[in-house]
Formats: sequence, C-alpha cells, structure tokens
Amino acid sequence: MEAENISVVKVRDVLMVTVPPDPDDETISALQDQVLQAMEQYQVKGLVLDISTVETLDSFFARTVVETVQMVALMGGRTVVAGMRPSVAITATQFGLTLGNALTALDVDRALYMVSDRHQEKSHGTKPRA
Amino acid sequence: MMKDNVKSKGQILSGEGVDYKAIFQAVPSAVRVVDTDFNVIIANPPMAALSGQSLEASVGRKCFDTFKGERCHTKDCPLTRVQKTKTAMKAEVVKERQDGTKLICVCLAAPLFNREGMLTGMVESFEDITKQRQAEALRATSSYTRSLIEASLDPLVTIGADGKIMDVNKATELVTGVSRERLIGTDFSNYFTEPEKAREGYKKVFSEGSVTDYPLTIRHTSERTTDVLYNAAVYKDEAGKVQGVFAAARDITERKKTEEALAKQTEIIQRQAREILEISTPVMQVWEGVLVAPLIGTLDSQRTQQFMERLLERIVESNSPMALVDVTGVPTIDTQTAQHLIDTISAVRLLGAQVILTGIRPAIAQTLVHLGVDLSGITTRSSLSGGLLVAMDSLGLQVATSKRTNGKEA
Amino acid sequence: MVLSQGLDRAIAIRSEEDIVAARKLARRAAEALGFGITDVTRIVTSTSALARNIFLYAGSGIMQWRRLEVGTGGIELKFEDNGPGIADIKQAMEGGRSTRSGLGGGLLGVQRLMDEMEINSQVGKGTIVTVRKWLTR
Repeated sequence: MEAENISVVKVRDVLMVTVPPDPDDETISALQDQVLQAMEQYQVKGLVLDISTVETLDSFFARTVVETVQMVALMGGRTVVAGMRPSVAITATQFGLTLGNALTALDVDRALYMVSDRHQEKSHGTKPRA
Repeated sequence: MMKDNVKSKGQILSGEGVDYKAIFQAVPSAVRVVDTDFNVIIANPPMAALSGQSLEASVGRKCFDTFKGERCHTKDCPLTRVQKTKTAMKAEVVKERQDGTKLICVCLAAPLFNREGMLTGMVESFEDITKQRQAEALRATSSYTRSLIEASLDPLVTIGADGKIMDVNKATELVTGVSRERLIGTDFSNYFTEPEKAREGYKKVFSEGSVTDYPLTIRHTSERTTDVLYNAAVYKDEAGKVQGVFAAARDITERKKTEEALAKQTEIIQRQAREILEISTPVMQVWEGVLVAPLIGTLDSQRTQQFMERLLERIVESNSPMALVDVTGVPTIDTQTAQHLIDTISAVRLLGAQVILTGIRPAIAQTLVHLGVDLSGITTRSSLSGGLLVAMDSLGLQVATSKRTNGKEA
Repeated sequence: MVLSQGLDRAIAIRSEEDIVAARKLARRAAEALGFGITDVTRIVTSTSALARNIFLYAGSGIMQWRRLEVGTGGIELKFEDNGPGIADIKQAMEGGRSTRSGLGGGLLGVQRLMDEMEINSQVGKGTIVTVRKWLTR
C-alpha cells in the first residue's frame, strides 16, 4: 500500500499542494505531514490546496483539511482550498461536512492571489463568512 | 380312403344325414333360435359366451330373459318385427349380458318357416361391435380435440420425458419454420436463441409441476426471432405416471413493441421536463464573474436540487465568483425546499464563490427563520439591483454616471 | 447494465485499504447503473462513511450491493458487521450533528444523502445498515 502522489510545490511565497482524485487515509495524513514540513522549510506565506481532481470528500479528509488550516494559521500562514467540484460541494454540504474557516477559491489562480501579500479586503476571490 | 372323404364331405353337403346341429354349434357367430312365443329353442356356444348365459340355462326360457336388450317388449324388437313382416332385418341393438355389462351388437334376424310355409320361429345372430363403437367415439373426440389444437394460434408442443418433441401444432411449425415431421423426435431446446434457458425451464416444469410466463425467444430457420412467454405443465397417464410436458407459447412481440414505444415516449417526456426546468430556472451571466438566476414559480424539492446542480456547474464553467439568486417570483416554499436553498448557498461557498439572495418575500423569510439554521452568513438584499451592487462592489467594480449618456438633468 | 455484471457483489472490510476498495466498488457499481455524477458522489461518500464505521467499531464486516429492479431501478448497499451493535440508534444518528467541523456526516449525513436507510442492530450481536438510492429516470 503506497501513498499516492501528492505534489507539493513552492510557487513564489506560497505552497501549492495538489491532491489526487481518490486519496486514501494514509495519503491524506501524509499530506498534512508534508505541508507542515514544507511550511517550516520554505518560510512561505500560505498554502493553496488544489482539490480540482478530487472526486470524494469523506469526513476524514474534511477533518484533516480543517486541522491543517488551523496548524498553518498557527504557523502564521493562510490556507485557501481551490477548485472543489460541484458534485463534491453538494454532497459535502448535504452530508454535513464543512471546511470550517478555510477560505475557498474557484481556481488556483484566484487562490494564489488570495494567499499572497497583495490580497486586500476586496479581491477576485471570495471571503466567505464562517 | 379318398372316396370316404368325398363321401363324408358329400354327406355334409348333400343333406342326407347332415349334422346340422354340428354346423350350428360350429358357426362362429352368436346364433339362437326362438319360437313364436319367444322361447329360446336352441343357442350355440358363441351365443352363450356373448350373453353370459349358459346353453342349459337359455334353452326353454324367454329370449328377453336370457339376453335382454333395450328394444325388448317394444315394437322395435327385431324378433317382433320379423314375426310381423315375415322378412329378415338387421339392426344395431344395445344388449345386456348376464353380469349387467352393456353391449352394442349388430343383430341379424330372419324368419323360420316349416314345410307348409308357416312361420314357426325366428333365428337371430349377434355381432359384438362395442369396442369398435368406442374406438370410433374416441377418434371423433380426438379429431375434435385435434382440430382445436391445430386451430390454436399459439404454438403448442408436447415434450417427452427425454426432452424430445412428441407432437406440435401448425402454429409451432410456422414459428420455427420447421415441418411437423422434422420437429418430432428432435430436442426441443434447439429452436430457441438460448437453449440452456429453455432446458432449465423444462427442468422447472418437472420439478414444480408447471411453469407460467417463462420468457424465451424462438428462432425461425430464417433467423427471425419471436419473443414469447411459455406456460407449461406436466401431464400424466391414468395411472398418474408423468408422460411428458405440454407447453403453450404466447407471442409477446406486440407487447414488447408497445412497451418499447412507451419507454421512448416516457424518455421524451422526461427530456422535455428537463428542458422546461432549464428554461424556467435560467442561470445567466450578466457580467464577467457575475451570474444571475431568477427563480420563478413554485419550487419543489426536486426542482430546487436540479437548480442547485446547474447553478454550481455554471459557476465553475463561467468562473463566476458571484451568483445572484433572486426569489421575488417565488411566493412560498416548504421546509425541505428551504433547506435545499440553504444547502445551495453553503455549497457555492465551498466552491469559492458567493450567493447573494435577493427578493425574499415574507413567507419565505418565515420558513427560513423557522428552520433554525444559521442565516448570519447569507448575504441578502431586497431587490436584484441591490444585490447587483454588492456583487460589483465585491469584484472591485463601480457604477458611475457618465455625463454623456445621461442626456436629461433629472 | 451489462457492465455491472462483471463487478464483485461483496467486499470484506477488515482494513483501511478495504475502505478504499469499498469506495471504488461503490463508484463502479453506481456508474454502471447509470447514476449521475452527483448521485455517484453521494453513494461513494455514504459507502466511505459506513465502511469506516464498520472498521472503527466492529473491526471487520462486509459490504454488499445489488441492483434494485423495481420501477426506475436503483442501488442497494448493505453494510454488515458482528460488532458491539448500537444501543440507541436515535442517539447514534444525532451524533452526526456535532459542531466540531469535519465530524459532520455520520449516520445522519448518510440518511440525508441516500433515499432510504434502515438500521438493524442488536447489542452484542452486530449491526446491519442498508441504504438505497433510486434513479430519477
């Protein structure tokens, strides 16, 4: 049982993590570890979590994302979850899952903008209230 | 020696010392002689066998006591008729043996005259045709039954315990394209598109006694197929032993055609319903990044869920972070639909976009609040234009009045 | 419909890998039966949650699925284990309402995603959770 590919890339001062389509628990846990490691290593301003290929969102995934957001915040960073699919968004909502205070963006471009220093109150992304 | 034989033959034939009694006894038919008072004078052994009454018991007694029949004591009694008409006659009569069994016999009766020409008695002979008559009756019934079987438009078949066809009707010949002679003796499962399935059905009839509405497809030699439902049952002989299976097929081609046509129509109706839904709950892009969805009419649970899916798809497709959902045209909603509306707002948020709800009527406001969910996160405005301003503002856009386009002062 | 004939009808759940396998099987079955993308996601998410429950509370169990033939047709999934059982089903359902983010879902969430849900449970014997989703066309 091998952990699927999670790509963690540094884009300027932001960490970009791309999540595979149907990650198992081990992959999701590894994601959290890798993010925290990279946060420390690269001194980045924040994290963009690209979930545009993710087809399933179960409670473990949701919980891990929320925890990661909190951990990144504690380390002084900002997280944006980008590219959730409509079917996943609807299912997660009806199922009762939330991403807590995590910021969300329609795509990675908007997410990068939201995380970077240039992001002000008004932006091309959105700031949903909790 | 030869001379003696001829002589003895001649004796029999010439009438001198002819042993008529021996001849009478030897006649292969049942014969008896009766006087004008209906007393039995003589009877031969076949007569005794037929009547069940011994010769000793017959002679001297009345004919209607020793071998009675349905015509006794009536004017149709052959002996009476012969006595009257003094001529021979033939009739088919129903007689009863000593043990009570009934017989059908051909009765030949003739008058006996003495040398003076006076009627002294009657002779009658009987031939038992009971079995023949029964066979004929059976054949008549069978031919009646047969013609019914042949008249049936359903393919009928009888299959033996060995799985081979025993008999078929015309309809079976037509549906298989094989003649009766060629069908009989062959394995019945050969004529189906799924021989295994046919054999399983056959086994089922034996194990359960019968099978109803068993679907199979018969294959014609021309490759044409006919969908049928089989009704089959075992049939037994008089002793209760299973002889084989009798099966009748019902052609359901027409029915299947109807079902298919119905399915197609249902598909059309459903497609049209979807199209109507899309027309009545449009999602329009009014500016880059801004979608507007005016909902009109009654919203039921299904319609709202479908709208939710379409709205989210459009948001992703058009990359629009702002979606104005206007419910001015929706007078009321039930709690389930209200929940779906709230779910829509939450789901849009997960995408990275925002819903601005405009035009909430009092009844809807009531339903939403009574749901008890957290409504603090929902952005609302009383009018669509108000919502549009919020959207534009969020996108960093401003509405300015240009002196040029606004000609009038006021 | 022909596609679904080649799929396994049951899967044992004894490990975390089996939860993933159960999800994959549920996805293939739901797709083969003709469910739309959102319904497929609902079915897979429910499977994930219920399979996870088996693993967490009973250690091992079985997931089965079958096609529903009545009407428009649908899918039925059955999750069975010989675990401790649920003493108070009502309470177990409401447990999903937890305000701690990410823990939402649970049995209540599954009920919201699926059209029908039945829970048969006996303390000390085990639990059977049966869920059904119907095709809308």
